[in-house]
Amino acid sequence: MLLADKLCKTFPLEQGEVKAVRDLSLRVGPGEVYGLMGPNGAGKTTTLRMILGLLSPDSGYAEIAGFRTSQTPREVKARIGFVSAGDGVYSWLTVREMLLYFADLYAVPARQAAERLEQLAILMDISGLLDRRAGALSTGQRQRVTLVRGLIHDPPVILLDEPTRGLDVVGSQTIFRYIAHLRSLGKAVIVCTHRLDEAERLCDRFGLLHQGQLRYEGTLTELRQQSGRNSLVEVFVDLLDQSSAERFTRKAVT
Amino acid sequence: MAPSLPRIVRLCRKELRETLRDRRTIITLLLMPLLIYPLLSMTLNRFLLTSASGDADSETVFIVDSLRESDLEFLQLLLEDPRSSPPQSIIAAAGDAAPAKFASPTDRDGSALEHLRAGRLDVVVALAGDETPELTFFANAGSERSQQARRILIERVQWYNASVMQQQLQQVRGQMVLPAVRIEVETIVGEAETQLLATMIPLILVLMTITGAVYPAIDLTAGERERGTIEAVMASPVSRSSILVAKYCAVVTVAMLTAIVNLAAMFITLRLGGLLPLLLGPDALFPWFQILQILGLLVLFSGFFSAILLALTSFARSFKEAQAYLIPLMLLSLGPGILSLLPGISLAGPLAVTPLINIVLLTREVLTGEAAVGPAIAAILSTLVYSAAGISIAARLFGSDAVLRGSEFSVRSFFSRPEKPQAVPTVTAAMLTLAILFPLYFTISNLLQEYAPEAMSDRLRLNAGSLLLLFGGLPAVVAWLSRNAWQSTFRLYRPRIGSLIGAVLMGLGLWAFAFEAVLWAKTIGIGSLDAGTVAAASEAKSRLQELSPWLLLAVFALAPGVIEEWCFRGFLFSALLPRLHPWQAIGGAALMFGLFHMLTGSVLHIERLLPSTFIGFFLGWTVWRSGSIFPAMALHFTHDALLLLIMRYESKLQASGWDIDNASHLPVTLLVMAMLLVLAGIAMVHWSTKAAN
Repeated sequence: MLLADKLCKTFPLEQGEVKAVRDLSLRVGPGEVYGLMGPNGAGKTTTLRMILGLLSPDSGYAEIAGFRTSQTPREVKARIGFVSAGDGVYSWLTVREMLLYFADLYAVPARQAAERLEQLAILMDISGLLDRRAGALSTGQRQRVTLVRGLIHDPPVILLDEPTRGLDVVGSQTIFRYIAHLRSLGKAVIVCTHRLDEAERLCDRFGLLHQGQLRYEGTLTELRQQSGRNSLVEVFVDLLDQSSAERFTRKAVT
Repeated sequence: MAPSLPRIVRLCRKELRETLRDRRTIITLLLMPLLIYPLLSMTLNRFLLTSASGDADSETVFIVDSLRESDLEFLQLLLEDPRSSPPQSIIAAAGDAAPAKFASPTDRDGSALEHLRAGRLDVVVALAGDETPELTFFANAGSERSQQARRILIERVQWYNASVMQQQLQQVRGQMVLPAVRIEVETIVGEAETQLLATMIPLILVLMTITGAVYPAIDLTAGERERGTIEAVMASPVSRSSILVAKYCAVVTVAMLTAIVNLAAMFITLRLGGLLPLLLGPDALFPWFQILQILGLLVLFSGFFSAILLALTSFARSFKEAQAYLIPLMLLSLGPGILSLLPGISLAGPLAVTPLINIVLLTREVLTGEAAVGPAIAAILSTLVYSAAGISIAARLFGSDAVLRGSEFSVRSFFSRPEKPQAVPTVTAAMLTLAILFPLYFTISNLLQEYAPEAMSDRLRLNAGSLLLLFGGLPAVVAWLSRNAWQSTFRLYRPRIGSLIGAVLMGLGLWAFAFEAVLWAKTIGIGSLDAGTVAAASEAKSRLQELSPWLLLAVFALAPGVIEEWCFRGFLFSALLPRLHPWQAIGGAALMFGLFHMLTGSVLHIERLLPSTFIGFFLGWTVWRSGSIFPAMALHFTHDALLLLIMRYESKLQASGWDIDNASHLPVTLLVMAMLLVLAGIAMVHWSTKAAN
């Protein structure tokens, strides 16, 4: 369903450049939830943006259902639902107007869009917000609206970039429950999150990204075997320690 | 998922809904005009009342004195005599202006002539003669007022003399005596007064459409990024052009609404405030037809500005950045707006297709009823093309990599050296270098013209020095600061001998086409110089013709050939090439090269744009194809050297039958030969090298 092959991306900086993603390859099948983990700046968002076609990779490619992002970007975009924690809303539109606008961007027929909106609104508990001005929503409400926005066209592939950022425990639970529901519907889901405990329970496979490289990949069992650690948190801390040690050594040498 | 009209309408409706619900739009759109125009009208009325009452009170009173007291009494008696007044028809023609009065000074101490010299008196009178009184009027040569007072006094005496003589003749002949010539006066309303509406409206339209379009243009582009909605929009499969067309329609609608509300408020306020005659003339009816014409023209203004604003704001990453881009545009737009106030400029020739100036002049001519069909169609079509280009640029920029990701660079980055060497400069660094070069070049070339040494040879050396310092030194400093590799930045690679020979052949042929391009530019009316500039150029040319050809070649061919290539095809082209398609990079560098050639001294030499850009294309292609700067330097040198030698040996060429001064076209055989040389050069460069990239 989703394939990324040797994706690379470098960004110029004031001082030199940064290799944001290096030779990243991954594959996610239908009904699978893939947890793309890593500390801030590891390259998670850049990877998702390349899969979606918002950023063009320096090399490598991404495919959705056989459509390559660089060759048929619209076919790819039509099959992906993208939700980012940093997504904003149109303050002066009502929630309903905004969500139907996005349905229109995905060419969902008006009646079908209205029906789907009602279903999703019940599932995500935003029915009472539909006629409220989007600018007046709280963080949690906004996050749920954003999730509905990414799913309004019923995509087979869903990319979620820190969907629970800024949410309380209850809000996070709602989102994670819904991700589990998406799996049951046969969707291929990539989720980037710092909620390692939730991810451990939810995701089928994991990719641990650090400094643009996929350091570990596999199921939780495989990850335990590869790293010799018991939990995601321990593997994660190990990664950070390694990088601190590397930095320390580099400094000492120079 | 092809864009369909109903879908674009739906998308546009969303943009409009979002914009029109925003309070800030409502303030700009409705509240400002509703408040501002009545206030402006009241202020204007107050000003007019004050100035009108001031006029009535301020009748002109001249102070007159005499050398003897009795002389003044004689003059006063003469002025009080009705026979010294002009005929009633002339007094009536002066309108509301009261006739000048003459009064004696309150303080009569000291010499009257001294008071006149000091400006305390306007006229001093002296009476002489026994039988026939003889009046002498003294006036101050340095005072216009004093001389005006003397003129009026002389006229009054002349009227008195004429009247008395007529009476005396009547008494002698016993019958009515008619004057040799009768005087009647008529007053008509001047052309300038009737055209006030036509001259003001273009400027008003420029201001109103910009005011209306600025906020929605920023909000619907840079605003999308600032509020975090751009990524979600770009993640959808709808094309960028559909999104931008919808945004464009929304911005045009808001701009038009703002302008309509402003115009309506303005006309209603002027009508109610009784100020409409100021704009239309005293007896004009309410200008319904002209308002309809203005509404039609408004579509053009809104369409043009909305597209240009969207193109600029689509590149911005925030409101603040967008505003920074728009302020220069707004200031630049005032220039063409003010052009409509100037008499003597009409919609013709290149002005009919010059952005903004064409619609400003079209508006003026439509409102005065003088618009010609051909130039009007050219203006409308070219504006549509500019608008389409603006939308297309906006669609390419909106949501592009750079806009989505945000800038990593700050001002500090321009002045700090990076840790690692960079192969080529960044586009930002190259553009900033050109932006610094422009004012420096302007200042230095003007200073050189003003304070240049008298000797022509010294002046030339200074010119060459400034070229070396600016176009050679500044890119070198920036390349050093950016830690750019010299070889790859300035393309200092060893060329193949074939590419060098090919470049020289191109240089031997291209001058002929550059020469023809200048003639063509003059034919279509671009860069026709005024007589003064032509005379100055001609004088400079004759002085140059006296100098050594070696000095001329060094200053005018070798220095530009090396230094300008170093800057434009080395530094700038290297920055553009990795980011653009090769032809775009070649075109971009050529255009910059052409633009800089327009700037010499304080006059814009528009006629240089075409030939310089044209040569720039060949130079860029040669560098791209050969991968080295040296063939381009050889081409540039050969081209400049040939033109220079033609100028240096003009008299000999004229003796052989080629009339350069009359700007005649080159003989066909020469053009064919030149073409063959260019083709041979292109072929040699092409076959002897591989494409650099």
